[in-house]
Amino acid sequence: MTRQLIAFAGAAVAVVSLLAQGQAPAGDAKGKGGAGKAGGKAGNVGLYQRQPPTPTGPAPKLADGTPDLSGVWLGGGSSDADISRSLKPGDSVVMLPWAEALVKTRQSKDDPESNCLPAGIPRGSPYPWRIAQTPGIYFIVFEGNIHSWRQIFMDGRKHPDDPELAWYGNSIGRWDGPTWVIDTVGFKDKFWFDYVGHPHTEKLRTIERYTRTDLGNMSIEVTIDDPGAYAKPFTTVGRARIMAGTELLEYICQEDNFDLQHISGPAQGPGGATR
Amino acid sequence: MRVLFCALAAGLGFLAWGPPAMAHHSGAAVFDNTKKIDLTGVVTKVEWVNPHAHFYIDVKDAAGKVTSWNLELASPSILVRNGWKRNSVKEGDMVTVTGSRARDNSNFGIAQTIVFPDGHKLNFLSAFEDGK
Repeated sequence: MTRQLIAFAGAAVAVVSLLAQGQAPAGDAKGKGGAGKAGGKAGNVGLYQRQPPTPTGPAPKLADGTPDLSGVWLGGGSSDADISRSLKPGDSVVMLPWAEALVKTRQSKDDPESNCLPAGIPRGSPYPWRIAQTPGIYFIVFEGNIHSWRQIFMDGRKHPDDPELAWYGNSIGRWDGPTWVIDTVGFKDKFWFDYVGHPHTEKLRTIERYTRTDLGNMSIEVTIDDPGAYAKPFTTVGRARIMAGTELLEYICQEDNFDLQHISGPAQGPGGATR
Repeated sequence: MRVLFCALAAGLGFLAWGPPAMAHHSGAAVFDNTKKIDLTGVVTKVEWVNPHAHFYIDVKDAAGKVTSWNLELASPSILVRNGWKRNSVKEGDMVTVTGSRARDNSNFGIAQTIVFPDGHKLNFLSAFEDGK
């Protein structure tokens, strides 16, 4: 293996690790050398190399003045590896005893994400996703993991009194100034927050706050409130950025999930770390 | 593979461990970093599928015994964004592959690098050798 390849592999793993923490790599976060302007340099965007510069400029608005969040984004609200790596400063994840015990017994092969099931909220992935804003309802469309979508009702409705339980819950949204706020309840207790197996219950409520800070970047804060599994709410901090040179591509995880039969060991992060 | 150059390469100031993240599960839960593979053989099949592309090679040992290996890549969506094409590796190619073997000791591994007789290289994520 050449030094260049070793260097590349290191860069890739390092960037993935950052992505897994729900953060874009600091070195590339605003592009390189006047990104978005003529002569801006292409660079790495997460796992992806030689990508067009992250665009720069003010955060755009739709014709009616609503913030325009549309586009293909890369990043997420929390670490794919371990949600506790993504906390707002001063916050902590305090599991109830049953949840703590469960995490210690979980096996990687049982992670729904390994089984090509939805990642849930706010678990990030190294795949891009798209926000589409239509009157009264917005959509988040995921390339992976897995090919799936969320619908966020923006027409002022309330949550149903007894929502049908769903992997992505029942989501209603509103604007708080420049920030898109999504309130979600009605979750199935299925997805894991991360590779290490942090659980949740049907009592979970998430409040997501998306703020497009400029043309190319978005901050994401997600408050996790699940009194069934955690002693107190906690908030994750992540971010995303526009992936300028691509569209969503197909990623049908169920096509050939060959690896599942070879997965072994306790629930663990990319480097083998467990809770 | 213990990655020693990542801090320099990424300018991020920390070390990381391979194999690379598998996107929908922990790579460490499938592949054992201590079980290195270094295989030379002929490609017999390519599966350009999700969540991971695979290719198979037949490796002949000194006694002439042929062993088939299944070698894993990232997803096609990652690969094509990083310069791979679905025929970058094709049936009949002679390749040398280095990487790590599956934890269960099956003839399954992660293809961290793929080297062709003319010297050009690909890797698990990318066709760009310089990592830029």
